[in-house]
Amino acid sequence: MANTLSTAGAARRAAPATGAPASTRARRDTNNRLGWALVTPAVAVLLALTIFPAAYLLYASFRRFNLMQPEAAQFVGLDNYRNIVANADLRHSLWVTILFVVVAVAIEFALGLGLALLLAKQSRANTIASTILILPLAVTPVVSALIWRELFNPNFGWVNYYLRRVGIMEEPIAWLSQPGTAWFALISLDVWQWTPFVALILMAGLQGIPPEPKEAAAVDGAQGWRLFWDVVFPMLRPFAAIAILLRTLEAFKTFGTIRVLTGGGPGISTEIINLTIYRTALQDFSVGAAAALGISFLVFLSIVVPQMLRVLARNSDLVEG
Amino acid sequence: MTTSVRNQFGSVILRGLLWVWIALTLVPLVWMFTTSVKPEGMAQTIPPTWIFPPTLDHYRGVLEGESVSAFAPLLLHSAVVALGSTALALVLGLMAAYALARVRFAGKQKLAMWILSTLMFPPVVSVVPVFIMAGRLDIIDRYPTLIVPYAAFNLPIVIWTLRSSIRQVPEEIEDAALIDGASRFEIIWRIILPLSAPGIATAGILSMLLAWNEFLFALTLTRSEVKTAPIGINEFTGMFGTQWGSLTAAATTIVLPVVLMALLLRRHLIEGLTLGAVK
Repeated sequence: MANTLSTAGAARRAAPATGAPASTRARRDTNNRLGWALVTPAVAVLLALTIFPAAYLLYASFRRFNLMQPEAAQFVGLDNYRNIVANADLRHSLWVTILFVVVAVAIEFALGLGLALLLAKQSRANTIASTILILPLAVTPVVSALIWRELFNPNFGWVNYYLRRVGIMEEPIAWLSQPGTAWFALISLDVWQWTPFVALILMAGLQGIPPEPKEAAAVDGAQGWRLFWDVVFPMLRPFAAIAILLRTLEAFKTFGTIRVLTGGGPGISTEIINLTIYRTALQDFSVGAAAALGISFLVFLSIVVPQMLRVLARNSDLVEG
Repeated sequence: MTTSVRNQFGSVILRGLLWVWIALTLVPLVWMFTTSVKPEGMAQTIPPTWIFPPTLDHYRGVLEGESVSAFAPLLLHSAVVALGSTALALVLGLMAAYALARVRFAGKQKLAMWILSTLMFPPVVSVVPVFIMAGRLDIIDRYPTLIVPYAAFNLPIVIWTLRSSIRQVPEEIEDAALIDGASRFEIIWRIILPLSAPGIATAGILSMLLAWNEFLFALTLTRSEVKTAPIGINEFTGMFGTQWGSLTAAATTIVLPVVLMALLLRRHLIEGLTLGAVK
């Protein structure tokens, strides 16, 4: 990645924008037509997979609608939403979703930052290490969940065997049968798979930082943590922001790994909202109830995510035209 | 003096922890691969068997088998879906990215942010209406029913990555071509496409990865005709009471192509991780 963190943005801003001499209205109209003609196919596909389904769900959320008896569907007003507020299981599912995302992303960021700092200096050993780090990113999540299921198997799993072997625990644990340990298995899977994502982004950021400010600060006597917080981290901030944003968005979409590893269990202890929506709509066939959940989830995301985008925009040239 | 000794001691410990993490990163993959080449009956021994005569029987069974466990067709379905959706996303994405990078039109800025914001849209919210509609239109278990949604999921990534790489193509080249009478499509095809090839490679890898690994839509919208590999492998456990040899062999065949691609094109992959938002 080019080390033009600040300079490229500035240079691009300074350069005149394309078609800038739109002095005549005709020229502006041509550009409008050309622009929209080029984006329309992509926008149509995006609309079909976002706004259209959302509108359909909004409609369905006001109805009692069983997929097996679509003809019996009827308008029920806000009943489906009232049920969300009244139902402790549904509140639990929203809560564990947030808990999962926050805990997983926080751990991944902390570990990823540590890895990036250790690996930023270029050397042969570091190249080997960062090559190995790429591997989990590409592994099919369902496959990693199946691997985890067997590694955490109480009877034949490597986790129980080797943890006892090195003396960390005495008795074998049925990891996936208790909520606490099931969560541990799930989070460890997510951390294994996605910490490298954060680390590689931050590494790219660190390698792009010019050495001069650091040297100047070192001459002034800055050391260790001070040097990091006052000099390095501010320059790393856009990379940190985008790593956290993208990881958070993806974590909110988690489905396959949890479905395969714990199936939401034991009980509903690890059932994040994606699994609840899927089960309600496509296994219990209560489309109306699932739709209300889906719309609530969307509303929640569209409050949280723009806030995050704003923070990101302040820290990078993301919205620069 | 003492601080520098302490610093050195600290850095040795940190390097040690780094390599412990790297080793742990490899453990699940080592388990998968060794289990896939262990002879029948050695897969689940405790303590784990490390010395064994390697065998390719599980791979043969999985790739040549005529039974339900036949895996080759599923890999083919996955490949068609991944390549098809990537091609679609790249074509639509390149056009849109060019407009967003180079054409000055009303609403451009808002449109770019809206496209990015669709990244937050949870697939589980769109899968239910898509499933109902696909059922009515009778297009469940067909290629386009997976290809179009996958392209849609990848479009924000593709558009943002390409927009940033198109911006790096010098505008003078384009201006010269415009003066010479080239049309916009000629410019995209002859100038932008070759000069933003690295960005296209980046966007292509990211969208292949996502499509190859996708689970939710494939689970909901396929039955047998276009069932993809991740769905097939998940069924291994239920149907035969889990034969770990076959399962891990199949898992290796799913993971190997994408892992190799990621390693070979690692520079592009890493650049793509930030969507070109920070340079």
